Amino acid sequence: MQIALKNLLQEKTRLALAVGGIALAVMLILLLNGFLIGMNLQITSYLDNSPGSIIIAQNGVQNLLGATSLLPPGIAIEAYQVEGVIKVVPILSQFVILDLHDKKQPAYLIGYKPDYGGGPWKLAEGRLPKSDTEIVFDNVLAKDHQIKISDLVEILGQEFSVVGLSQGTTSWMTSFFFITKGAAEKLLLIPEATSFLLITPSEDISIFSIQDDLAELKGVDALLKTTVAQNDLNLFAKIFSGPLRLMVAISFFIGALIVGLIIYTMTIERQQEYGVLKAVGAKNINLYKIVISQALIAGGAGTILGVIFSYLVSSIIMVMKPQFLIVYYPLTIIWAIFGGLVMAIVGAFIPAWIVSNLSPAEVFRK
Amino acid sequence: MIQLAYRNIFQSKIRLLISTGGVALSLMLILSLDAIFTGVERQITAYIDNSQADIFVSQVGVKNMHMASSSLPAEVEIQLKAVTGVKSVTPILYLSNVIVIGEERHLAYIIGLPENASVGKPPSIVKGNILPGPGQAVIDRRVAEASGVSLGDEVEILGETFIISGLSEGLSSLVNSIGFISIIDFKEMRSRQDIVSFFLIEIEEGDKREAISKTIENEVENVSVQTTEEFSLQERQVVKDMGTDIITIMNLVGFSIGLAVLSLTIYTAIFSRRAEYGVLKAMGASNMQLYRAVVYQALISVSLSFLLGWFFTLLLSIITPQLGYDLQLIISQGSFFKVLAAALIIGGLSALLPVRQISSLDPAIVFRGK
Repeated sequence: MQIALKNLLQEKTRLALAVGGIALAVMLILLLNGFLIGMNLQITSYLDNSPGSIIIAQNGVQNLLGATSLLPPGIAIEAYQVEGVIKVVPILSQFVILDLHDKKQPAYLIGYKPDYGGGPWKLAEGRLPKSDTEIVFDNVLAKDHQIKISDLVEILGQEFSVVGLSQGTTSWMTSFFFITKGAAEKLLLIPEATSFLLITPSEDISIFSIQDDLAELKGVDALLKTTVAQNDLNLFAKIFSGPLRLMVAISFFIGALIVGLIIYTMTIERQQEYGVLKAVGAKNINLYKIVISQALIAGGAGTILGVIFSYLVSSIIMVMKPQFLIVYYPLTIIWAIFGGLVMAIVGAFIPAWIVSNLSPAEVFRK
Repeated sequence: MIQLAYRNIFQSKIRLLISTGGVALSLMLILSLDAIFTGVERQITAYIDNSQADIFVSQVGVKNMHMASSSLPAEVEIQLKAVTGVKSVTPILYLSNVIVIGEERHLAYIIGLPENASVGKPPSIVKGNILPGPGQAVIDRRVAEASGVSLGDEVEILGETFIISGLSEGLSSLVNSIGFISIIDFKEMRSRQDIVSFFLIEIEEGDKREAISKTIENEVENVSVQTTEEFSLQERQVVKDMGTDIITIMNLVGFSIGLAVLSLTIYTAIFSRRAEYGVLKAMGASNMQLYRAVVYQALISVSLSFLLGWFFTLLLSIITPQLGYDLQLIISQGSFFKVLAAALIIGGLSALLPVRQISSLDPAIVFRGK
């Protein structure tokens, strides 16, 4: 271990560059994962904060964000008549693309009845909409586009007055904004339409039994809110997992190559010393230990620095771009550390092979 | 000096391979993410680009299809047909939903087509009919293959059962595919007869798109009118605007990693040849000549890495669809030159450290045996 450490510390600039490179690769892996976790939390933010624990959607629709749902007329009354249902909150929702300062911004429109709930759960500023011409806008999106309370914003060709700014309703992909259900019906040209019902069941009756009864209603599906949230997550995970895995794999190989490069160079430079060690009776296993220790020290230092970098960089990103939420779970960090060490071992493979093939006589020939 | 740089690089093949691979992968990070977004842009506009329509008419304020909703009164069709130069008007209904096949759910845009649709049909059919009749659906071949169904099998759309009557191609993307059903079924399921999502217009003379768009805008109230090219551009802009921030972050990280790897490589190569550089200095080589050798070395390395990174990305673009991903990677010209510029900057910057190393090198070092 001491030899490994001395070898590494002999040329500090080189070590710094190698550790920095590994750190950046680990940081990238962590950032990508943290970004995905954050996005997952943001995706389900509406479901996590809206009332009720059962969702009624159009038959066949099992997502909130992935699919458009339009419920049969009169379904809210029918749902309310089901035994055990204590509250029914209708919402009309739809993705729309806003044109804000020549930038296309996907946003999720929630049309809700302020008396029933289902609107913004936390206001950073202002109040809830009272009329069909008022809107509660996401505060991050508003800040990005210098939109303030009492400003007018155009949604699908119609102007709305901003009366409130909501908090916790943003993500890099989409932000939520809220208008009255009546306004949404006019905007989407579908009077009396409802997309989803948010059902609050009684605690006295089994939620599954209420769900079964609601599922009997014609033309609808009744799903637990947790299931809908999971379906949304699965849907987005399916979209993003391919590119994400690709990026993580590339980062992993880069990290392994950096470790490989530094350990390889050190091994070549010290080929003669290794030969001497072999000549005086050192076994291959001892030399492997030196090579692998070097790799693990460089990889370990790079990984720790990578974890620190990720926290720093993610804090900067989230301050500069609040729509990005980057979250690290302890397990992710453990996986990153593990990944960093695997990178180091993979990177040590070629140098170890060189050492094992080294002839002890080589040292005497040079 | 170029020869010296060249020899320095190629003397240790393994080191060359590792370092070139490292920088190439870093550049590949930038290239492949760009290529994914460009691919998604292309996939997402496939329906619009191949619709054979000249003009798209949507609800006022709606400029694209992806993640958007458009509702227009059905009677607008009469007004559109009355505009001089309009050859045909095809109303379509559209929403995002899922195609359910057994236990599998595929996110899809569902388009309701009239029986006599002249445009807006699936651009390529590999099996079956191009237009779905009542109770029938045309779905994407890849979706059908993924779920092991074919013509005559059942799928569930909007909660109703449909028989697959056609398999289309070229309309699926990383995000979703497109399924077609009859507009009659669509209207019944949505319980609304008087609403249309978009009108697709075919004109008599193709070169008069702009002029006819203007006429429609003037003559028909509360609609957005765009030529197919404009509509497609707006669609691509959605993907671009959504991806800008994430691409910037990834580009910066990729750039930094590439810089670290190349700096490490050049630094290591120069470091291990300190004695030779000392000899050159002792023989009268000026610092400037040695700097040039270092810069050449960096530029040759980075050029090799760029070519390798480009090759890796091209390879990836071929392999990815074979692995069953609906992921199309397209390296745009802009992205190619952006990454090339990044590579050259990386090369230039990575030479800074070794240049400093050389300038402080004592020619006597060689005689001291260090």
